[in-house]
Amino acid sequence: MRILLIEDETKVADIIVRGLKAERFAVDVCHDGQSGWEAADAYNYDLVILDLMLPVLSGTEILEKIRRKNQQVPILILTARDGMADKVKNFEGGADDYLTKPFAFAELQVRIKALLRRGPVNRSSVVRVCDLEIDRLSQNVKRAGKKIELTAKEYSLLEYLATHPGRVFSRTMIIEHVWDQSFQGLTNIVDVYVRHLREKVDDASPVKLLRTVRGVGYSLNDETPT
Amino acid sequence: MNTRSISFRLVAWYAGLLALIFLLLSVLLYLDLRRFLENDLRQSQSRRAHQIANALLVHVTQTGEPYVASQVKDWFEPEINGRFIRISRADGRPVYLSGKPKDGGFNPADVPAIASSSPPEFSQKIKLADGKTLLVVALNVKAPGAPEYVVEFGGLLDPVETMLNHLFLQLALGLPLAMIIIAGGGYLLLRRGLQPVEQITRAAERITQHNLSERLPVTQSGDELERLSVSLNRMIARLDEAFQNSKRFVADASHDLRTPLTIMRGELESLAEDARLNQELRERVASMLEEAVHLSKIVEQLFTLSRLDAGEAQTEWSRFDLSELARTTADQMSLLAEDKRIAISCHASQPLPVEGDRVRLKQVVVNLLDNAIKYTPVSGAIQLRVNGVNGHAELEVEDNGMGIPPAALPHVFERFFRVDQTRASNSESAGLGLSIVKSICTAHGAEVEVQSVVGKGSRFCVKVPLSKN
Repeated sequence: MRILLIEDETKVADIIVRGLKAERFAVDVCHDGQSGWEAADAYNYDLVILDLMLPVLSGTEILEKIRRKNQQVPILILTARDGMADKVKNFEGGADDYLTKPFAFAELQVRIKALLRRGPVNRSSVVRVCDLEIDRLSQNVKRAGKKIELTAKEYSLLEYLATHPGRVFSRTMIIEHVWDQSFQGLTNIVDVYVRHLREKVDDASPVKLLRTVRGVGYSLNDETPT
Repeated sequence: MNTRSISFRLVAWYAGLLALIFLLLSVLLYLDLRRFLENDLRQSQSRRAHQIANALLVHVTQTGEPYVASQVKDWFEPEINGRFIRISRADGRPVYLSGKPKDGGFNPADVPAIASSSPPEFSQKIKLADGKTLLVVALNVKAPGAPEYVVEFGGLLDPVETMLNHLFLQLALGLPLAMIIIAGGGYLLLRRGLQPVEQITRAAERITQHNLSERLPVTQSGDELERLSVSLNRMIARLDEAFQNSKRFVADASHDLRTPLTIMRGELESLAEDARLNQELRERVASMLEEAVHLSKIVEQLFTLSRLDAGEAQTEWSRFDLSELARTTADQMSLLAEDKRIAISCHASQPLPVEGDRVRLKQVVVNLLDNAIKYTPVSGAIQLRVNGVNGHAELEVEDNGMGIPPAALPHVFERFFRVDQTRASNSESAGLGLSIVKSICTAHGAEVEVQSVVGKGSRFCVKVPLSKN
């Protein structure tokens, strides 16, 4: 998988490149709009990560140029501007996702995976993590064959964490997916729900699946942490 | 009519002053004219009394009293001219008394005699029985070798009084009429003159921070009002520029603060995952990461506030039921409350359609409930009520928590304000939640109020205008 990153802040670019290389992606970086467009034009990338405020050629202009030529490539917008009007404009311009700085790298990873996975998605109705079974159709959850009763929110939270086992989800990501924007900043609600979920899912089992990564967020592990 | 308006007060002052001056002038005119007319009458009577004394009574010893009487009657014809003439000796014996005037104005016999001990000449007004007044001049005459005589010459004051009465009537009717014309005309003139002020006021009220590009109407009259509207327009232009600058500043600061925060978080995250780190260092990195996340949250909230200030809340306007929103939000927040064994009781059954940004108004409910949960002790109770009151939907959040001291109450919606040390110790909140509530309310034309009793609890009330259609 080859990813093009167009970002003028070298430090931000460095962090993203390091993180993506660790995930075994091939990454090309451009630091201004013009070279970014030339690179996007020259090679068929699997994904483009695009900053909006760029020298020479703005992100929005590059977005238009790429879309005129290539309808397929997923484009993720990375920006410090998060006005609603901006978002709408860029989604209309053909962006596939939108991430506002400052973001957690974990969030960027999840979104990239989600975009790249778009084609052949594993839509099998049952997700298995270790001895935990989540049936997406009936919304039934079993641990070691025993049924667990969950409330609607607890189920949404567990299902979301199970989309990428082992991946760390930030509280902000969880809030945005399981609750909505109105709860922005109210991250303690996530902690309360995770605690309740833990009581129901992990307390009875010697293998703890719900893991807290301090300062980052939560993950659902399919292997016992070392 | 507004009694405090400039036009009313100016007209009242001017009319009052003019009325006072007119009244004074009228009184002076009336009194002066009366004095003048009476004096005139008195002088002519006195002249005639002297005529009788000097031409006839001087020679009374030669001519005899009957001659004097007949001469007086011939000269003055008192019955025809309506005069009163009486000549008598000082001891009171009459020499001559004029007859009743032809017009029957008065009866000379009824006129009382004037005491002879009076000075040689004086005048007196005599009120007659029928209400008429006679002005009489009395003259003591002493001719050599003759007894002392008293000559009384008088006439009715009627014509003078008729004239004065007429003048009084004219003044009494004319003065109020003049005042009405002056006050009415003055009011109309002032209203016309102050019309531009009304226009400026109405135009100025239409201008808010969202339409600062508009300007006040300027009438090219060259007067003070033109200058006022021109300088107000300059002020609005300066405000406009200041607002634009602050918006630009927020946009720039937004970019410039977020980029370093992204770098910090990214570096710390990759460091926290680094296997080479020992447990102690990992803890310290995690602690820094937590602070970086906290910092991002404050920056996020500040930008939310700035965007609300810039009026960007109107992007997603829709119509929805506030009661339903309150119910679902309370439901979503219930676990957070249960965690502290706090019961949220929600009373919102009546459908109340309002218009606005649903996500933002939900944030109001979330922030108010979160606030109530935070500052209510374990096993407390929170009431959430939504009612329709006079064209408004009233959303109340009432807790039985620690309450807010009266001195802090006016400041709770200010940015970064915290009530006291117990609140400051809660590092999770930056003191921006309630100011976000306030800003969202302002953007929706809603009001938010707070009442609180220390130790008993607080009550926040949001009034949102109901949707019209």
